[in-house]
Amino acid sequence: MIKSLSKPNKAPVVLQLKDIVKTYNSGNVQFNALDGVNLSIHKGEFVSITGPSGSGKSTLMHIIGLLDIPTSGQVLLEGKDISHFKEHQLAQIRNVTLGFVFQQFNLLPKTSALENAILPLLYSDVPASQRHQKGIEMLTKVGLESKLKNTPAQLSGGQQQRVAIARALINDPKIILADEPTGNLDSKSGRDVMDFFHQLHQKEGRTIIFVTHDRELANEADRIVIIKDGKIEIETKK
Amino acid sequence: MLKPSLEDLIKSALRSILKNKGRTILTSLGIIIGVTSVILLTSIGTGLQSYINDQFDKLGSNLVYVAPGKIFNESGGFASGEQSFTNFFKQSDIRKLQRGLGDLAIVFPANESTLKIKFGKKEELTSIVGTTPEWAIYRNSTPPEGQGSFFTKEDVSKQNKVAVLGFSIADKLFGTRNPIGKEVTIDGKNFKVIGVVDKKGGTMGGPDIDAYVYIPSSTFKDITGKDDIMSFSIKVNNADNIEAVKRQTKRILLEDYDKDAFTVFDSSQLLSSINSIIGILTVGLTGIAAISLVVGGIGIMNIMLVTVSERTREIGLRKAIGAYPRAILLQFLIEAIILSCFGGIIGITFGFLGSLAINTFFPAKVTLNSVLLAFGVSSAVGVIFGVMPARRASKLSPIEALRYE
Ligand SMILES: Nc1ncnc2c1ncn2[C@@H]1O[C@H](COP(=O)(O)OP(=O)(O)O)[C@@H](O)[C@H]1O
Ligand SMILES: [Mg+2]
Repeated sequence: MIKSLSKPNKAPVVLQLKDIVKTYNSGNVQFNALDGVNLSIHKGEFVSITGPSGSGKSTLMHIIGLLDIPTSGQVLLEGKDISHFKEHQLAQIRNVTLGFVFQQFNLLPKTSALENAILPLLYSDVPASQRHQKGIEMLTKVGLESKLKNTPAQLSGGQQQRVAIARALINDPKIILADEPTGNLDSKSGRDVMDFFHQLHQKEGRTIIFVTHDRELANEADRIVIIKDGKIEIETKK
Repeated sequence: MLKPSLEDLIKSALRSILKNKGRTILTSLGIIIGVTSVILLTSIGTGLQSYINDQFDKLGSNLVYVAPGKIFNESGGFASGEQSFTNFFKQSDIRKLQRGLGDLAIVFPANESTLKIKFGKKEELTSIVGTTPEWAIYRNSTPPEGQGSFFTKEDVSKQNKVAVLGFSIADKLFGTRNPIGKEVTIDGKNFKVIGVVDKKGGTMGGPDIDAYVYIPSSTFKDITGKDDIMSFSIKVNNADNIEAVKRQTKRILLEDYDKDAFTVFDSSQLLSSINSIIGILTVGLTGIAAISLVVGGIGIMNIMLVTVSERTREIGLRKAIGAYPRAILLQFLIEAIILSCFGGIIGITFGFLGSLAINTFFPAKVTLNSVLLAFGVSSAVGVIFGVMPARRASKLSPIEALRYE
């Protein structure tokens, strides 16, 4: 493992992975999609994870996003080992602390942009009377104030992804996770999404981790993690 | 505190129901079919039963009948084989029975013969009953106000030629005209109409008592030349004494007649024989109703299974953005309950309207039990098949659920 030297990050570690292994059993064959991953993410960092297709990027993101559990290893969130957390505690972290953006948007069909954006509020403490207001704020922030009532079918891919980003931001999460957020978009819409992430990072100081197989996009981050065959190959910092 | 609140869950479930109209309609259709058909079919069975019970009540209560021949078989059903309805009791039997029963009961004869009755040019063949005034009192056949009266003891002792008409025979002969005081001809002899009995409704499959013409028993003997008596009715003073009167009557008759030559029975016995036939019919109807419940249930199950992948992905997403398993289960449970109630209420409405429609030509009566049964079974199916896949999906990791195909 090669690590480039640069000045150490003084910001606190918000997320730490220790010896993460994820094994899939397909038939009789056991396969390690992740094979001993160690990674620390500091507060306010903008990190990209890149690597060839099938290298384990999504698997890693799902474990970071608490959407899946590792076969072995530890995930520490703000210093706490989450492996002992109960299902409803994990749900609460996904709801409040993390904001996940998917490649396939994953919006509820036949449901308006506004309702999609405020869906996480249903499971949080925000009172019903404030939800619409928050949703409108978030959709305005992603430039969709004129499309509140549109259903996913009435929105372009770029617009759908922006609704998904508004949804990820609605509970003011500490960490934003995005798995190939531009993967299903044309280059113009993809550029817009990337610019928006830069803005969130620079102006609001949010911690952002995103996955891309596009080296150029990956290079826009502060730190680039290259993964291959389930192992971190190189980490570079600007 | 419950998160989401019950209000949020109901709203969320309603939104999902309204957004997926196809799914909603197909699911409720299963419940509607099940509930409607169970209510309709059982309403026919119970309607028939209560109709027949009503008819028996109209014939008069606390009555014991004595008829010639063997009517019932050993298991309580109707005896098969040739029945001889020949007049064969004697006038002296009445006196003997009345003496034997004393204060317990009043014995009165009923002789019946099918004869021609004529008024003007109109002629009908009908049942002429020779009896005593007790018939009017104990078999609910007293003519109402303004329709004359039944004949008296004096009419019997003087062998007066007077007749009381049943409702339908009066209608056939006289139409809108008032029959009271008019002369009719029975078997070629003139009779004066002195009363008309109110409509009683036909007994299912039994004699049409609205077509009866009543004349004094003494006069009956006179025109038919028969001194024999075909049957007796015995009015018992108290329902508790019915069994005692039956035993006593049998004992007295056995002194003169063979045990298979006559039958002593009361309406409850007749009723239970008829009810056992209806029972078989009801079992058949219930079977058909059960089939439609199953059909409805399979419909619900199918639509739930068809949408399971779509719903599993929805569950995956909800979990990914922070829903905990119980919130998901509750939402799906509430959705299923709303759908079941919606379908159930429509089904109950259809069932009621349908049985009202049937009621115009066939007795039908909706029972609370059938409503509860139908609603219970189909909503249980709806809830089980609505919640079961959700329960399974809520146990998957968010990512497994999101990827579900
Ligand atoms: N549910 C699964 N079952 C079996 N193998 C899987 C599953 N998910 C992913 N894999 C395998 O794990 C490896 C990493 O997958 P993934 O993390 O999706 O790669 P990437 O996102 O880098 O393209 C691939 O070889 C893939 O086939
Ligand atoms: Mg991937």
